[in-house]
Amino acid sequence: MVTTKKGWYVGRKNNNKLNRTLLKVKSDTELKFGLIGLSLLVFVAVFASLLVPFDPYFFGPDVLNKLGENQHILGTNHLGQDIFSMILYGVRTSLMVAVGSALISAVIGILVGGIAGYFGGKIDLVITECINAFMMVPTFFLILLIIALFDSSITNVMIVIGLTTWPSNAKLIRAQALSIRERTYVKSAVAMGETNLQILFKYIIPNGIFPVLANTTIGMSNAILTEAGLSFLGLGDPNVISWGQMIFMGKQYLTSAWWISTFAGIAIVFTVTVFYLLGDGLNHVLDPKHKSRKDA
Amino acid sequence: MEEKKPFVKINNISMWYPQKSKSLSQVIKREKQWVKAVDNVSLELQKGEILGVIGESGCGKSTLGRALARLEHPTQGDVFIDDVSTQNLIKQDQRKFRRTVQIVFQNPFDTFTPRDTIEKILMRPLKLHGIGKSEEERKQKCIDILESGGLKPAEEIMKRYPHELSGGQLQRISILRSMLFNPQFIIADEPVSMLDVSVRAEIINMLVTLSREKDATVVFISHDIALTRYISDKIAVMYLGKIIEYGDSETIINRPQHPYTQALISNTPSIDLDEIRETIKVEGEPPTPVNPGPGCYFAPRCFKATKNCFKHYPDTVELESGHLVSCSEI
Repeated sequence: MVTTKKGWYVGRKNNNKLNRTLLKVKSDTELKFGLIGLSLLVFVAVFASLLVPFDPYFFGPDVLNKLGENQHILGTNHLGQDIFSMILYGVRTSLMVAVGSALISAVIGILVGGIAGYFGGKIDLVITECINAFMMVPTFFLILLIIALFDSSITNVMIVIGLTTWPSNAKLIRAQALSIRERTYVKSAVAMGETNLQILFKYIIPNGIFPVLANTTIGMSNAILTEAGLSFLGLGDPNVISWGQMIFMGKQYLTSAWWISTFAGIAIVFTVTVFYLLGDGLNHVLDPKHKSRKDA
Repeated sequence: MEEKKPFVKINNISMWYPQKSKSLSQVIKREKQWVKAVDNVSLELQKGEILGVIGESGCGKSTLGRALARLEHPTQGDVFIDDVSTQNLIKQDQRKFRRTVQIVFQNPFDTFTPRDTIEKILMRPLKLHGIGKSEEERKQKCIDILESGGLKPAEEIMKRYPHELSGGQLQRISILRSMLFNPQFIIADEPVSMLDVSVRAEIINMLVTLSREKDATVVFISHDIALTRYISDKIAVMYLGKIIEYGDSETIINRPQHPYTQALISNTPSIDLDEIRETIKVEGEPPTPVNPGPGCYFAPRCFKATKNCFKHYPDTVELESGHLVSCSEI
């Protein structure tokens, strides 16, 4: 508690906002591990070119080397590429797909859901039916179809995943908007003469975005899985290194050179887990109703 | 006495909400049931006058306030401020209407968005309405206004988030913010009912002083009769969406004519311990606002009810100058 000389109570010190956030992060184990994992992934993605012992795009003479043979820590594949370097480069692809598709899905979801929830009435009815229709579509099949019909570049994969996963975000923000628009601060903003759009972007979305953030993080792990699945089916971008593709290529050598598929699989499991922990942790921290287990 | 022209004229304001059809026959016939939260309320207010609106919970006081501030569009009726129809004004120039009519809300803890500092909260409306030429000028205006309301040091307070301030401070800021545009017509919807008793008097005095300064007309909604008597010039008593008695506040408090008003006032605690008063007990709950009637809405609970009361809704009669009562037994 801070008071000035005259004794007026002026609230607590300003810098405690950061402290509070740090405290929350510390209190939640899942979020802590998620953040550590994410920093590791981001670090690898940024400095991949410095960290790799070999050029992953180089088709060397060492074909199907075992673990540790000729300085290849995790061996090589049938084209002589270094598996360890490929996995490090694969982080870039995975993170790009995850972030890109999540951004597209979050932006569309927040806009559509926010408009539906705030304006209500007939607009809400139409949009909700659209969301329901989108939710009925078998997502993976649709992605397969679009990728098969169009170019299977990494950008296309990102856009398609984003365009098929927004309905869950839209539903979340719609529910938030429905309750926030009845709050006094929205009413007082109306009384102050703010327009509907200003209220939507200044009051409804910033105050209702938390569940969407948590959902988007979990959505990122699904995007990584989907991209890996597409690559495994041979529909990934052939010009970039992706873990799904590595598993797909290693499949035929599974009995003789198990390391090709296995380490890429472990990398996928690790990344997906990190994003799940992050999403779950965010959910706990951002939702005030969700008390940490220590208190209970 | 010279008949003065009313400054604010509330003309047959009604606020009806459709009720979801329950039975199948209603769905088929497309019959709509209406909840008449506010039903044909007409009032006239002089410039600078404070009108208290009292009534029990759920009688439509707050809905009337929201309809007057056009937070909800009334089903019918209009409000004329200085002979300008607000219905037309809000269509033509919404911002001008918002500058003319302001509302103070009941819950100060929820009046401001939790994500902005007080500075942003106060600066936004100023910028929106183009008041003040530069950022510094607007900021100075915010500081002046906060200090005039006893919120010192203003610069410190402007850096705070709403959750870091007390209810009393927040309600002061809320009132000060409403006064930013010098509104002509202020609706105060139970501005102190969420606050601690110790700060109520300050907040009320501030509201009254500011509105007297600006010569604004105030509708003060409350269920605290003693408080309403203290600040209001006129009092209107509501029951189930209708005004049942209206008059000078002293007349209403000392010589209530409607049985409901009599019951309300007889149940108000008095400071004077020696005062002997008979409390009138009213049994039961108010009836549902879906199709009440056909008689007087209060008749089923009224201690003076006769057969006549159940036949049709009583007309409003003027007992003496400016004292209106809706009761068939007077």
